Amino acid sequence: MDTTDETPALVSGSRWDTVQPWITFVCRLALAGILGYSAFSKYPPALSVQAVEAYDLFPHELARLIGYTLPLFELALAVLLLVGLATRFTGAVATLLMLVFIAGIVSAMARGLSIDCGCFGGGGAVDPEETTYGLSITRDIGFAALGAFIALWPRSPLALDRALGLFR
Amino acid sequence: MGSETRKRAREHLKEQRAKEKKAAALRKNLIVVGAAAAVVLLIVVIGYAVLNSDRGEGYTGPIAAQTVQEDGSVVMADDGVQAPVVEVYADYQCPACRQFEITNGGLLKERAARGEAIVHFRPVSIFAQQQVPISGNSLRGGAAARIAADHGVFVEYNDELFENQPTEGREGFSTDQLKGWFAELETSPGQQEEFGARLDEEAAVVTEFTEEFLPALTQDAVDRIGQETLGTMVLTDLLAWGADNGHDPAFLEGTYTGEIIEATGNAYTRYSGDDAFGGTPSIYINGTLLDNNTAMTVRGLSEAIASADPGKVETQPLGDGGDEE
Repeated sequence: MDTTDETPALVSGSRWDTVQPWITFVCRLALAGILGYSAFSKYPPALSVQAVEAYDLFPHELARLIGYTLPLFELALAVLLLVGLATRFTGAVATLLMLVFIAGIVSAMARGLSIDCGCFGGGGAVDPEETTYGLSITRDIGFAALGAFIALWPRSPLALDRALGLFR
Repeated sequence: MGSETRKRAREHLKEQRAKEKKAAALRKNLIVVGAAAAVVLLIVVIGYAVLNSDRGEGYTGPIAAQTVQEDGSVVMADDGVQAPVVEVYADYQCPACRQFEITNGGLLKERAARGEAIVHFRPVSIFAQQQVPISGNSLRGGAAARIAADHGVFVEYNDELFENQPTEGREGFSTDQLKGWFAELETSPGQQEEFGARLDEEAAVVTEFTEEFLPALTQDAVDRIGQETLGTMVLTDLLAWGADNGHDPAFLEGTYTGEIIEATGNAYTRYSGDDAFGGTPSIYINGTLLDNNTAMTVRGLSEAIASADPGKVETQPLGDGGDEE
């Protein structure tokens, strides 16, 4: 059986130990690219604020603060993933962020709102038949999985963490 | 006995070393996480400061002359000013338009007052065809702004409407609210009475349009020409089709509700190619559509105005005495 073949490999290390760091590395780059792109696509902040307001969850002032700082937070996570600093922590935070996004989309769906998720710029009301909640949620689950992989197996090449003696 | 003690001491030392190793690893982890948190904080705080520096100052100075145009739009510029023409297409129910107003409303007033821009406000109702209450809010807001324009306070009233924009999908812009905001401006009791009377008429037209006329017309059109064709038609096309097919839109004639619907239809055909009007807010300088980075940042719009040549307003002022009263 396959599993008997793989499980010892996981434990004893040989193949997994060689491959895993590179998988994590690819996950880091991919998630950094996604978060970085998402941050830039939310510029200018006036539109990002409007995308947050469309969720109808926060008062104007708080929506404004989120609209301004969320893209910056995404950018910061992207930078950390790119340089590989606090890899495990960053991967976990990115996963949590995706879960928060999913919760937001589900809540918009449950309340019968017809909005664009504003995930990569855009946002605001759309025609009811133009909502893409399913796609947005699926996408975010995928991104959450990238983050989770990084958090579970933080060891990867070209990371500041290694230079600092972590996850060697 | 001696060897037993040594053994224990050795084990104790081993434990001690393991403990220290663990503590060191934990310390290292904490330091790295702390450094990462500091990086996040730094990026967010500095970024926020940079983005926030683009905030327009709330302009409270004098406002340039406001002239109502034949199509119901309003030009804000003093007489004889030669400057770039900034056209602002907005729907009072559109949240991004509210953000535009918050971001650049002050800048436009200031530039117009200094004679550096001719600002052409062109209210539209892209939401007129949406469901109640979105459609009703949009049209009532537009009609109220047009009545305010008759009393020379369009620009001030425009601010009030955006400041009090109803959340999308919720009932708002009630006639009482709309009258109240008008009364808060520098208007006489006589003006307030005229405003209120006209608003009640318009509100009745809006209700008839959004709750009876349009649903019946839409249903009929779906049955006879199909959802697909209907999807490609703007509201004015649909009204024209209705007029030929037993849905007489005569009750809209001479109303500001009808006027803003027509203005919206005309916006779709006014520009072509990359400049085509596709939604709100749409900001044009001398007929060229601005992208979001330019229109929705103070720096972007400010530079775009500064670098543009003087332009020409394409509409004619409403003739004196042409008012309803």
